[in-house]
Amino acid sequence: MSEATRMYPGIGRDERTSFAPYSAFDIPEDLRELHGRYDVASTAKRVRNFRYTHEWMTMMMGGWLATIPELPVKTGLGKIIWESAVAADELGKRLPELRAGRNVATASQPANQGYADLIQEIASPESPDRTIEKLTGLFDVLMPHLIDVYEVTMRETDQICDAPTIELLDDATRKLRRHVAWGKEVLDRLCDTDDERERRTNRRREISEMLQACGGVCGDA
Amino acid sequence: MKRFIQHQELARDSRFIRQDNTLSTAISELPDDVDTVVEVFEAFDPMIEKATRGTSAEPLYEEYGPSFALVALNDPLKPTDKAVKTRLMMRMHGIFVGELQALEGAGRSLWDFPDAPWEFKMNMARQCWDEARHVQIFEKLLDHVGAKPGMYPESTFLFECACSDDPAMRVAGVNRGLEGLACDVFRDMIRYAEEVGDEKMKQAIDFVLADELTHVRFGSEWVREFTKGDPDHYERAQEFRRRVDKQFSFGGSRSDRDDAAIPIATEVRREAGFTDQELEELSMLSAGGPSRETVKAAARILRERHKAKRAGDGASA
Ligand SMILES: [Fe+2]
Ligand SMILES: [Fe+2]
Repeated sequence: MSEATRMYPGIGRDERTSFAPYSAFDIPEDLRELHGRYDVASTAKRVRNFRYTHEWMTMMMGGWLATIPELPVKTGLGKIIWESAVAADELGKRLPELRAGRNVATASQPANQGYADLIQEIASPESPDRTIEKLTGLFDVLMPHLIDVYEVTMRETDQICDAPTIELLDDATRKLRRHVAWGKEVLDRLCDTDDERERRTNRRREISEMLQACGGVCGDA
Repeated sequence: MKRFIQHQELARDSRFIRQDNTLSTAISELPDDVDTVVEVFEAFDPMIEKATRGTSAEPLYEEYGPSFALVALNDPLKPTDKAVKTRLMMRMHGIFVGELQALEGAGRSLWDFPDAPWEFKMNMARQCWDEARHVQIFEKLLDHVGAKPGMYPESTFLFECACSDDPAMRVAGVNRGLEGLACDVFRDMIRYAEEVGDEKMKQAIDFVLADELTHVRFGSEWVREFTKGDPDHYERAQEFRRRVDKQFSFGGSRSDRDDAAIPIATEVRREAGFTDQELEELSMLSAGGPSRETVKAAARILRERHKAKRAGDGASA
């Protein structure tokens, strides 16, 4: 390399800079290992499963707004709808980075038919007197399940190679926790008779059983 | 959950009282003729009386008869008007329930069209959050002007007219028709807030107006996208929007006329993607309907007849 094109020390083959590998700042060594339970393809599959869930949560909450009579529930869901859509969007953007194509139509996929049926069942309560059933399926069962699975995924995926997935799941989990706390508070208020508490318990049992039977969001639980 | 619901299915808590939408439909089609206006309102008298019973509009009904809403709707909001407080509360309440229906309309667009492009869903999800905040904002502004939710009857006319089952027409109706009307109303409310020096109202509504502009822009873009390569479909969506615009002009109350209660916010609409040709059309189609003179003459007759009827009721009792 000629003197004229040389930009800075260290670029040539036989050159050494004067910087020590660890300087006086005593930077701690990276102790993480290259190891993760999921490879590129299975990470992409999980991201598709997660995105499917967030997309449908966004849609079903949108559909419910009109048939929920409680005003603070209507307005409270507005922001949750948006945050759920943002999570789906971020998950979708991760897919091309995982060699999973740019086709948005295939960006959302359920793990299996049982999970797709579960999502439709959670969305199914319709009439204005069923706010308890609407919220219980989503906030008492599905969202806590997502939090559990996201935490396991963040722990078990390759901490270095798959860091971008960890980042976006970390963000989604933080918001899901807030949503679950909101849902719990609302449901506690809505269920102030034995009869209403029983409706919540029954709905929770029904949806939990379906969730278990299909193996959860990724079909492997 | 089924797709596509009717306006009667919009869920409300027990504070709200529903008003039959046929009255709004009739108002939107009134001609500039005193006798016809009187005739229409007399026909709706029993329904108006029923809808106002138990609400804050009941004393207004007792005082002015069935035309009180027409007068309230047709006159510009002026700080010097002696009924300004009541009219402000009524208008604020109308906006509040309009925001509720816009929230529900945006939400239904998410559910009703599951195969729509993802970007459309993102826009509608954003609109859900915005409209939810608008409901919260106008709940506070209702309190600010001394009113509260459910104080006046709610007509679900906005949802009924705007929510088509076709996605291009839905965005044409909700995002351009309804949201466009919101731009006009908010521009006028900001004008009023400036006149009375109400900074809280002015700033809050200015933020809301900025959001509405974004929602109209969603509409302008998605009408084109949903009808791409299909000029016939585009024309049907435009025709639907024209019909909604005509209905939402409430017999010229919202128009470019000198006596309009709510002028068309031309600059705001242009910024949101309305073309000059569309604005011209809107100006023309909203100009019909009774003049303020006609409304006043009809209201006078209706009030006299109402008083006479009450006196008769009293005498026979
Ligand atoms: Fe709004
Ligand atoms: Fe809006």
